[in-house]
Amino acid sequence: MTIVVAYKWAPNPQDAAVGSDGSVDFSRAKSAISEYDPVAFELARQVADATGAEVVGVTVGDASIDTSLARKAALSRGLDRLVIVADDRLAGADSTRLAAVLAAVVRGIGDVDLVLAGESSVDVTEGQVAMTLAGQLGWLGLNAVSSVSATDGGYAIERDVPSGTASMVLTGPAVLAATTDAVLSRVPGMKDILGAAKKPVEVLSLDMLDVSSAQVTLTAVSASRPAAGNRQRVIIDGSDPTAAAAELVGALRAAKVL
Amino acid sequence: MNVSSQTWIVVADDPAVTALVVAARALSAEVTAVVAGRRATAESVAAAGVDRVLWLGEPAEGTPVEAYAPDVARTVADGAPRAVLGSSDGAGRVMLGAIAALLQAPVLSGVIAVEHDGDQIGVTRSVFGGVAERRDLVTGGPAIIALAGGDVGDPSGAAVPVEEVTANPLTTGRLTGVRKKEKAPVNLGAARTVVAVGRGLKAKADLALITGLADAIGGELACSRPLAEGVDWIPKERNVGISGQQIAPELYVAIGISGQLQHMVGVRDAGVIVAVNSDKAALIFKQCDYGIVGDLYTVVPALTAALAPKP
Ligand SMILES: Cc1cc2nc3c(=O)[nH]c(=O)nc-3n(C[C@H](O)[C@H](O)[C@H](O)COP(=O)(O)OP(=O)(O)OC[C@H]3O[C@@H](n4cnc5c(N)ncnc54)[C@H](O)[C@@H]3O)c2cc1C
Repeated sequence: MTIVVAYKWAPNPQDAAVGSDGSVDFSRAKSAISEYDPVAFELARQVADATGAEVVGVTVGDASIDTSLARKAALSRGLDRLVIVADDRLAGADSTRLAAVLAAVVRGIGDVDLVLAGESSVDVTEGQVAMTLAGQLGWLGLNAVSSVSATDGGYAIERDVPSGTASMVLTGPAVLAATTDAVLSRVPGMKDILGAAKKPVEVLSLDMLDVSSAQVTLTAVSASRPAAGNRQRVIIDGSDPTAAAAELVGALRAAKVL
Repeated sequence: MNVSSQTWIVVADDPAVTALVVAARALSAEVTAVVAGRRATAESVAAAGVDRVLWLGEPAEGTPVEAYAPDVARTVADGAPRAVLGSSDGAGRVMLGAIAALLQAPVLSGVIAVEHDGDQIGVTRSVFGGVAERRDLVTGGPAIIALAGGDVGDPSGAAVPVEEVTANPLTTGRLTGVRKKEKAPVNLGAARTVVAVGRGLKAKADLALITGLADAIGGELACSRPLAEGVDWIPKERNVGISGQQIAPELYVAIGISGQLQHMVGVRDAGVIVAVNSDKAALIFKQCDYGIVGDLYTVVPALTAALAPKP
C-alpha cells in the first residue's frame, strides 16, 4: 500500500511585496515546506513504519517549486520517494485545479489508500485543496484529524469535532487533513538530509496527466491593498514598569477606551 | 453549463444556517437548501427561511456527514444553481470540495462581498492570508462560496416541507464514538476589551498573570494560535487570527505576541491596539497604537496594579 503526503512548497505572504494596486509579489519571499505540512509527513511516516507502506510525497505548482533545496526539504522528512508536477501553467492555479492535478497523480500512483495533508497552506490559507481532492477522487474527505493508526484492514483515526473528539474506523481510501498539532514533527537531522539525495524523484509532465479542464473561471475586475490601519505607534520604554504602566493607563483613559 | 438564477445552500448537519440563508437571499429570490445529516437538522433548516429543502435521508448509525459529499455534489449539479453557499468549517469544506470537483469550479474563500454584476456574480475576497483583496467575476458556471456559517438573528419564514432525495453515502468510514469535551461558551466578538497572550508566556501557571490583568481591565482572555494548539493552555475558541476569531474590540491588548500576519488579520478592525513585548524589533510595534517594550513578567503586574481602583 502507498500513503501519499500532499504538500506545498510555498512562501509566507507576510514576506510578499503588496502593491497599492493589490498586486502580490512573492519573488523576494522565500519558499519552504508549508508551515503545517510537516505534521502530515510525520503522520504518514509513523503509520507507514507500522504497516510497511511506502510514503510518496506529491506536490504540484509552478516551475519554481522544483529546486534541489525543495526536493531535499521534502525527502528529508521521511518520504520514500517524491512525485512533482512543476509547470508555469499552474502559477496561481485555484484550489480546484491544484486538486485536479493532485488527483491525476494519485490515480497514477495506483495503490494509494491514504492521502494526508496539512491543515492549510501558508500562502493561500484556505484549507480547501485536500477536501476538493477527496471530491475529485470520490473518496471520503475528513478535516481536523488528530491521530491515525493502522488496524487490520484499515485505519483508526481521531478527529476534533465541535463536541469533542470523534473516533472513526476507515475501511477504504480517504483524504485526511491533519490538525496542526496531531503529532510533533521531527526536525530532519544530518542523516535524513544526506539520505534525501539518494531517494527517487519523478517529475511528471502536466500534459501527460489526465486532468479535467476548468469549467468555471474567474475574471479579475479589481484588486486593492487593505488599509493598514493608521496606528499611532506610541512606544513606551518598559524598563521602569510602574512608570510605563502609569503612562499607558493614562493614555488609554485619555483615549476613552478604559 | 446552463445555470438557473437560483442560489443553493449546502448544510452538513448543522442547524445554525441563518447566516447562509441571509447571504443567499441577497443573491436570489429563491433559495434551496441541500441538507446532509439528521432529519431534525433538515426540519430546522426548513423553518429558517428557505423555499425548498432537499434532504439526503437519515444517516445510518456511525455514518459521518462527510460521507454524503458525493450525494450533495450530484444533487447540487442537478439543480444547476447560479451560486452555491456553504460553511467554511471542516465539514462544509468537504461538501464544497465535492461540488467544486464535480463542477470543476473553484471554491471561493475569504469572501467579503458577493453581488450580481449584470447577469454574472461578482465576488470580493481577501487573498493570501489577508494581504490583498480581489474582486472577480465568476463565469462559466456557479459561484461556489465558503462563508462563516452560524446564526445571525432568528430564522424567519414559514416552514417548508422536507423533500427526501435518495442518497448513497460512502461506506468507507464509520464513527465509533465521541469523547465529549465540556466547553464554556465564549463570545470574543462581543467583548469591548480583549486581552490576548502569546508565546512570550513561559508556563501555563503564569496564565494567572494574564487573567489577572484581564479581570482588572474588564476584558475577555484570548491568545495566539501556539497557545491553543500544540500546547493546550487556552481553548481553541479563544485563538485570534485567520484560523480563529476575527474581532473588532475597542481595546485589544497583545502580550508576548510577535505580531505576525496570520494573527494580526484577526484584529485589523480593533479600535486601539496595545502591545507588550520584550523585543523592541517585534513586528507588532509597527501595528499597534501603544507599545511597551519590556518583560511581560514585570510589565503586566504593573499594569494590573495601575488599573486597580485607588483606595
Ligand atoms: C495557515 C496558518 C494559519 C495561522 N493562523 C493563526 C491564527 O489564527 N492565529 C495566530 O495567532 N497565529 C496563526 N498562525 C501562526 C502565526 O503565523 C504565528 O506563528 C503565531 O501567531 C505566533 O504566535 P506568537 O506571536 O504568540 O509567538 P511568537 O511569534 O513566538 O512570538 C512570541 C513573542 O513573545 C515575545 N516575548 C518573549 N518573551 C517575552 C517576555 N518575557 N515578555 C514580553 N514578550 C516576550 C517575543 O519577543 C515574541 O515577539 C497561522 C499560521 C499559518 C501558517
